[in-house]
Amino acid sequence: MRPTLEPGDWLLTDPTVGSWPRRGSIVVVREPGSDVLAIKRVAARPGDVVRAQDGPIRLSPTQAWLLGDDRERSIDSRRYGPVELDRLVARAWFRYGPWRRIGRLASVLPPRPGQATG
Amino acid sequence: MSRLHAWLAPKTVVHAHCDIPCGIYDPAGAVTAARTVARMVELIGQIEAGSTAVADRNKFIRCVTVKEQHAELVKHEVQVIWSDYFKPEHLAANPDLHTKVWNLLKLAGKNKQSVDAEAAAQLEAAVKEFSDIFWSTKK
Repeated sequence: MRPTLEPGDWLLTDPTVGSWPRRGSIVVVREPGSDVLAIKRVAARPGDVVRAQDGPIRLSPTQAWLLGDDRERSIDSRRYGPVELDRLVARAWFRYGPWRRIGRLASVLPPRPGQATG
Repeated sequence: MSRLHAWLAPKTVVHAHCDIPCGIYDPAGAVTAARTVARMVELIGQIEAGSTAVADRNKFIRCVTVKEQHAELVKHEVQVIWSDYFKPEHLAANPDLHTKVWNLLKLAGKNKQSVDAEAAAQLEAAVKEFSDIFWSTKK
């Protein structure tokens, strides 16, 4: 998730489900397969169409598409496919450490469909 | 200050995953290392046999060194995924997994001990099979 997040960052997270996953928000997720707790950005939400390796997919009502900000290095939905919403744990909204990097984590919308994908 | 620090610090760690991350769960490293072993065997084969020219001996030693290092890397990468990633349900789906890993590791050792194109090709094939099993568990 570089450059947005760096190793050692301390984050505040909001575990309430509410109306998320909002596109552009940063979420903590139990990754498919490994169940490792990972942190990625929501690129697409239920009902959206995403461009996957084998062709376009429409996300079901229970799926999201997650991408890491470091597109070149990230292992994300491009590798493990759509993520079921029940794997989303929390939304990271604020960095409270280190001191110099304190601040809200911005929602960054991915490029619109038709533009370059990751 | 450090008690405050300990109290403030988050209790949960999350991972952002870079490409060959922290030793975690991607057989691509082993695949590349196996290919490197095969390539070194190829390069060694191209050196004139019995040559005492310094340039040839230098190349020979460097190729053997890289072959050794990457055969070891194959062993390490496969072992980490085998021990840390695979779960009982994966073993149930691939009952010969342990035997395959055991043979793969022995094959890597064989590639250290010899300069053998056939053994190198077998190693690449075994690592590819291991990688296929890994990705089949992600479906």
